Amino acid sequence: MATGAGETGKDPVDVLIVGAGASGAAIAWSLLETRMRILCLEQGKHISDRDFPSRREDYELARYGDFSCDPNVRMLKQDYPINSTESCITPVNWNGVGGSTINFLAHWPRMRPSDFRTRTLDGVAEDWPVDYAALEPFYEMNDRNVGVSGLGGNPAYPPYRPELPPIPIGRLGWKLAQGFNRLGWHWWPSDVAILSRDHEGRQKCVNAGTCDLGCAAGAKGGANFTYWAVLERARMELRTECRVREVLIDPNTGFATGVLYHGPDGQLQEQRAEIVILACNGVGTPRLLLNSKSKQFPDGLANRSGMVGRNLMFHPLTGVSGVFDEPMKGHEGPMACSILSQEFYETDTNRDFVRGYGLHAGRSTTPMTYALGGYGIDRPIPWGEDHREIMDNVYPFVAGLTVVTEDLPEEHNCVSLDPNLTDGDGIPAPKITYRLSENTRRMLRHGEERAKEVLLAAGAKKVLCSDDGNVWWRAGWHQMGTCRMGNDPRASVVNGWGRCHDVKNLFIVDGSIFVTAGAVNPTSTIQALALHIGDNIKNNIANLFD
Amino acid sequence: MWSGTQRQLLDLILDELIPPGSDGRVPGAGAAGVADFFPSAARYAPDPVGAITTVLAAVAANSPDFASLDRAGRVAVLKEAESEEPDSFATLVRLTYMGYYSRPDIRPLFGVGAHAVHPEGYPVENGEAERLAELTEPVRARGAIHRD
Repeated sequence: MATGAGETGKDPVDVLIVGAGASGAAIAWSLLETRMRILCLEQGKHISDRDFPSRREDYELARYGDFSCDPNVRMLKQDYPINSTESCITPVNWNGVGGSTINFLAHWPRMRPSDFRTRTLDGVAEDWPVDYAALEPFYEMNDRNVGVSGLGGNPAYPPYRPELPPIPIGRLGWKLAQGFNRLGWHWWPSDVAILSRDHEGRQKCVNAGTCDLGCAAGAKGGANFTYWAVLERARMELRTECRVREVLIDPNTGFATGVLYHGPDGQLQEQRAEIVILACNGVGTPRLLLNSKSKQFPDGLANRSGMVGRNLMFHPLTGVSGVFDEPMKGHEGPMACSILSQEFYETDTNRDFVRGYGLHAGRSTTPMTYALGGYGIDRPIPWGEDHREIMDNVYPFVAGLTVVTEDLPEEHNCVSLDPNLTDGDGIPAPKITYRLSENTRRMLRHGEERAKEVLLAAGAKKVLCSDDGNVWWRAGWHQMGTCRMGNDPRASVVNGWGRCHDVKNLFIVDGSIFVTAGAVNPTSTIQALALHIGDNIKNNIANLFD
Repeated sequence: MWSGTQRQLLDLILDELIPPGSDGRVPGAGAAGVADFFPSAARYAPDPVGAITTVLAAVAANSPDFASLDRAGRVAVLKEAESEEPDSFATLVRLTYMGYYSRPDIRPLFGVGAHAVHPEGYPVENGEAERLAELTEPVRARGAIHRD
């Protein structure tokens, strides 16, 4: 039940969720059975599958305009600008019902058991206050809700089996898998939140290859198609075009009392709530907390640890391509999700870095995006005869591997408030300060060399690699760590079930609470965590604020 | 928008940025009519017409008779313009690629469907379960690789 802000009053709600993306939708679903009055505020709008650009003949253009993954390119009313001039990676997102699952690529690997214990196992970062075993039932619950395709028996994980068979790995997947096999290295068909067959009223994937432009088929397990379909049938209240400015605090009790938000007309309104849950992603949540200053919290709400905004982690990426002797048809099929190798995922003391990375065989892309440098890259290929040569004799024959590295938390990598830049409602914009660590650089170099080996083993006649040490600019899909979990209130923002140490009726459920990043796409874990937190709220409802 | 002379020059420039295929199957960007895309390209560059006009002026200043040059001569003039007006030239190149490859009649020349990709999509051969089982067998045989 989506409403405009003016249609509802200031009546207190039991639970106020800020953000209608992956985590906000998942925890709302979890709490639905409590019959508490739940309200979700979302700064963006609903987008109908009829409006996705893949229904247009010039669909590729949308990737550089209204449907860019980069809010600084889109510049829509619901977007906030992000100052990333002091970062080698810029965050990307979508603001609307479904959040960034509207334009995500639905790659769905789980984090691995070691990802939750890096301090114990490898002496780096911190252990999480939860582990794989604790999250496993919520991974399974979430997979059922979302619809996951994949192949059971992956030796890179404890046993589990996706409900649906794998999506086609495509010609390039078959080719690269043979390369991995020749080297004796791990690979596996990717787990994806994309339907390989019709499932629970949703249509299977049509292999359009434009997952980033919204899935007009409804096959992609974006929260807009999964959780929100259920929530809206249950008539849970959702107010769109409502941008939260500040979380309010009672100076006497220290509890959150609600929020101030700008409605569709820009007017500032107050919404009171017993419980406030933030689900604004790893950039939006610290931004909101840092903008919620008071006498009790002069450095930002829930920030007595000083950790709000700190430890920003992305997944720095680079890519290597091979040119084969037959067309790879890389534009056919889900974009990022063919096969994944985790041969180099775990720490090996023989290498010059700790932790590891994945080698992702994504598909290639459409001609325009290739000519403009590839997805996530703004580096057009040459013009002139070189252009002709590349598009005729390279583009159709390319298969690539992406090196996706684990980013370790470092306090200097952070989200802060920009002193000058604001969004359309005058709220300070986030500023990203981020640089690659030497550990990550070594990992990227190692990954590039291994990717070259795989491509050659698979039969590539030529290997293309920039070797310039740069990472992809628009690779900030995964924003993690900026309000991390922990048992120690001096070194973390929330506890093991998402409750702020400093404000006991304020919860955070998005990727900002990650302690480490792993080297896998995070949405599966973000939603599993949200369900885990929802479960803890329900189990502790009698003494939730003790 | 542009005078007849400017449009002629622009089409020649475009045919150098994306030249036609040698077998005549693939048109160059000028012959494909990419110039018609630029006036509507403000969503993709702040001032597309301004940038392109700047490049046209630089080319015309460096080579008053661009049309009479051979291919190598045209490329040399364009490289000069690129070094003199790098931002405008980069805008022209980027928009040329966008205008060219967004055309439904061009995409099939590179193996990609002309159609809007929804609802039709593409038929992709599925990974037959037996073949996939066979291909993953060596991976299974090596056993677990995770640490608990």
